[in-house]
Amino acid sequence: MSNTMRKVCSPGAGETAAHTVAHKPLRRFSIVLRSIWRRGEGKFTLIVLALWLAVALVSLVWTPQSLWTTDGYHVWAKPSASHWLGTDGTGADVFSWLMAGSRTNLLIVVLTVALSAVWGLALVAAMVARTPALAGTSVVVVDALISIPTVLIALILAVPLGASIAVIVVACGFGYGLNLARVARPAALLAARSAYVESARANGASGRRVLVSHIIPNILPVLAVQLSLSAGTAVLAESGLTYLGIGVPSGVPSWGHSLATSVKLINVFPLTVLWPGLIVTVVVVALNVFGDVLRDAVDPVANPALRQAVAQSAGAADNATTNPSAAPVARNTGVSEIAEDDGEGAER
Amino acid sequence: MRFVVRRLLLFVAALFGLSVVVFAALRILPGDVASIMAGVNAPPEKAAQLREQLGLNRPLVIQYLDWMGALLHGDFGTSILTGRSVTSLVASRASITFPLIILGLLIALAIGLPLGCAAVLARSARVRAAFHVLAIIGGAVPALWSGLLLILLFGKGTGLVGILPSQGFPMDGWTTPGRALLALILPALSVGIIVGASLMRYTRSALGDLADSGYIDMARSCGMTRTQAVLRVGLRLATPQLVSVIGLTFASMITGVMVIENLFALPGIGNGLVTDVGNRDLIAVQSELFLLAAFFLGVGLVVDVLHRILDPRLKSADTVSEVAA
Amino acid sequence: MSIQVRDLTITIGGKPIVSDADLDIADGERVGLIGSSGSGKSMISKAMLGLLPRNATASGSIVMGSTDVIGLHERALADLRGRYVGTVFQNPAASLNPVMTVGQQIALPLKLHYDLTKAERAERVAVMLAKVGLDGEVTGKYPHELSGGQQQRVGIATALITSPRFIIADEPTTALDSVTQRQIVDLLTSLVDGAGASMLFITHDFSVLARATTRCYVLDAGRIVESGPTAELLASPATAQARELVSAARLLTLRAGGKEESHD
Repeated sequence: MSNTMRKVCSPGAGETAAHTVAHKPLRRFSIVLRSIWRRGEGKFTLIVLALWLAVALVSLVWTPQSLWTTDGYHVWAKPSASHWLGTDGTGADVFSWLMAGSRTNLLIVVLTVALSAVWGLALVAAMVARTPALAGTSVVVVDALISIPTVLIALILAVPLGASIAVIVVACGFGYGLNLARVARPAALLAARSAYVESARANGASGRRVLVSHIIPNILPVLAVQLSLSAGTAVLAESGLTYLGIGVPSGVPSWGHSLATSVKLINVFPLTVLWPGLIVTVVVVALNVFGDVLRDAVDPVANPALRQAVAQSAGAADNATTNPSAAPVARNTGVSEIAEDDGEGAER
Repeated sequence: MRFVVRRLLLFVAALFGLSVVVFAALRILPGDVASIMAGVNAPPEKAAQLREQLGLNRPLVIQYLDWMGALLHGDFGTSILTGRSVTSLVASRASITFPLIILGLLIALAIGLPLGCAAVLARSARVRAAFHVLAIIGGAVPALWSGLLLILLFGKGTGLVGILPSQGFPMDGWTTPGRALLALILPALSVGIIVGASLMRYTRSALGDLADSGYIDMARSCGMTRTQAVLRVGLRLATPQLVSVIGLTFASMITGVMVIENLFALPGIGNGLVTDVGNRDLIAVQSELFLLAAFFLGVGLVVDVLHRILDPRLKSADTVSEVAA
Repeated sequence: MSIQVRDLTITIGGKPIVSDADLDIADGERVGLIGSSGSGKSMISKAMLGLLPRNATASGSIVMGSTDVIGLHERALADLRGRYVGTVFQNPAASLNPVMTVGQQIALPLKLHYDLTKAERAERVAVMLAKVGLDGEVTGKYPHELSGGQQQRVGIATALITSPRFIIADEPTTALDSVTQRQIVDLLTSLVDGAGASMLFITHDFSVLARATTRCYVLDAGRIVESGPTAELLASPATAQARELVSAARLLTLRAGGKEESHD
């Protein structure tokens, strides 16, 4: 296969490089996944996230009780064989709603992460831009906006929009994007001012290409942590906003909805209160831990298997500077050498 | 000094920008504001009267300038639903929220700082790992759930050890300080535990980075033990960072306790704001949002300035960074 | 104070960093320890001070005067540090406490070990400042307001303020330019000799070592491969590792104004 990949990469031959990379993400993905699985906490987080996905998918076609069967004779029922966690004030099955809630939360998390990634990266691009006015202004604006809490943004949005998933997604995506930009800026700035970017620019690479093939690979570890944190915080935010009546609208299942229901259940059967909160806590823990293990897994310095794969592909493309993945390795290796110097052989 | 001036200008600019955003957000309501506020079944005359009364039929720019002009004179308008002035509404709510978050922050500090230090100082790797797990779990608990669990444990009527009130605030407010304080204990604990976990994480990471630094080696080489060096030099060096974090945490708690206020039926700022949003009480919401945003920006300003004062390196770096920028 | 190091072995996570090192420093002697970066030389100094990272273990013995510091309790080690053993660090910018004034920094060992009044401390600090060639007015300044050379003078003053019997200088000149390097080395050696203390001078640079020490040890990959009078070693290195270091030093001296930069 390396024969087909061995093409001349002249300056501006980015398309060729991108083409040969086509099947590589999959391989790299499996390497990353495997190195996460190898660690104890990695297993925990992968299992929790897989269960979440599975339950969300299953709930689309099956729940123990239909979501919409309400039983007027069995409101506030205690847990039983047919209602594992009892019923709520309309006689709907609490367990089924909890199960179905996982799909809404999954949707919210995916949308929030996507929005905060796009918005955050746009801000990062502006902050490391070569126009001093743009860079300066964006840094100042991010600093000013970052102190405004997500809930406040959600409240502003809730006035025109009412309770809706969009309120959660936009408010969280906006706020977390700011956080992402602030945290990723130092690494991005380092990459943007590196020799690789200089040479890429000299070869006529566009700003967008520099962002995609040099800056993003370099901030990947930061990105992994921040986006996982965003995912976890989005789950927490959903529960809070929905409880306050400005998140997921009533009639749509979500964990926040289940938590809010459990508040009312407290006088009926207190122990059912534990479940929605426990699920949210476990999922958020898993998402936060996922960020840490993902960071180590996508960092070529910390992950030798990935380093090998990247080095191979860098060798396959003749010109290292035009290869999207070559830059971070080269820089990171440099950093690790310095670290070894400082540690006086502590690494050996 | 130039930094403070620049930061103040930014504060004013951000405040202005926010006032526009808040104003605009509340005017793009789907449908006619006045008729929504008047209610679904109200006769059209009522809506018209409201429109007239609120000046909603005037151009937006005039409405905005009117609002701003009044704000600058300290007049935050009148809630349409209750007829009370927004100033007195906010003041009565703040008399619950501020004690609540101060109490919550104190609890959080009492939990977070010692645990954060202990996590850095612990000799055994296993103990450090245990602290790590504790911090991660503490940061993943929804506020609503920690409140529920505390009610289950200590709430009067429902709790295993039902000793503390879990619903409402005394009608006569702080005239009976003991009862008022008692009503705030469970809510403050609920929020304090969660914020405490986050402060613990910040303390641990700020102090942990410093504990391996040359500053600590230097202090130890002068004759301090590791514990002394971490607590005296490390904590002092981490102070600017921690003050920033604590300041911003304090600000964010105002809205962070919204859920807790709601759960414990405390008529605080957050709870009141949610009620007003639900009621579409345009004037009240508009001014409350502006006040809150101003508060957050203000805290951000104070925190930034404090940070400068606490870190002598930044005072002179100021001029350098300006040249570099 | 005389120092005997016997069979010193330091491991981190099971990997040996230093193996069976033997070192002797006589009373009043200036001894060098030279090795390329990663050879483990700083770990030896850290072991002497009890400043090894927590995942490191040390075995063997390090006898200072009559005390074996290996396995000594942190409290007892802290009593030694700053009182009988002074340390000059590689990078003053990364070790001098940034929120302490120069005066407070230099007075710190006095404050920790001796019961003196504020005025007595200030007096000794003033005397020390004059000895290291700094103006009295730097007392109220913060480290970041000083040049690299001035910062290192503050570092030396802090290390020597209590008149310790043993000085560990861990690459004290690496972060400085070559002119300042020479000044700092000369200052350090004259002060150490004046006080009659012994010194362990750690570096990777033979040209500095020749100025600072009379005898030296060459460390490679955690093992001491060669030792002897510095001048002899410099003239005719016996091992390949020593030859490499010597030729590197010649290259450095030849390169006009060749500057060493810190990686921090």
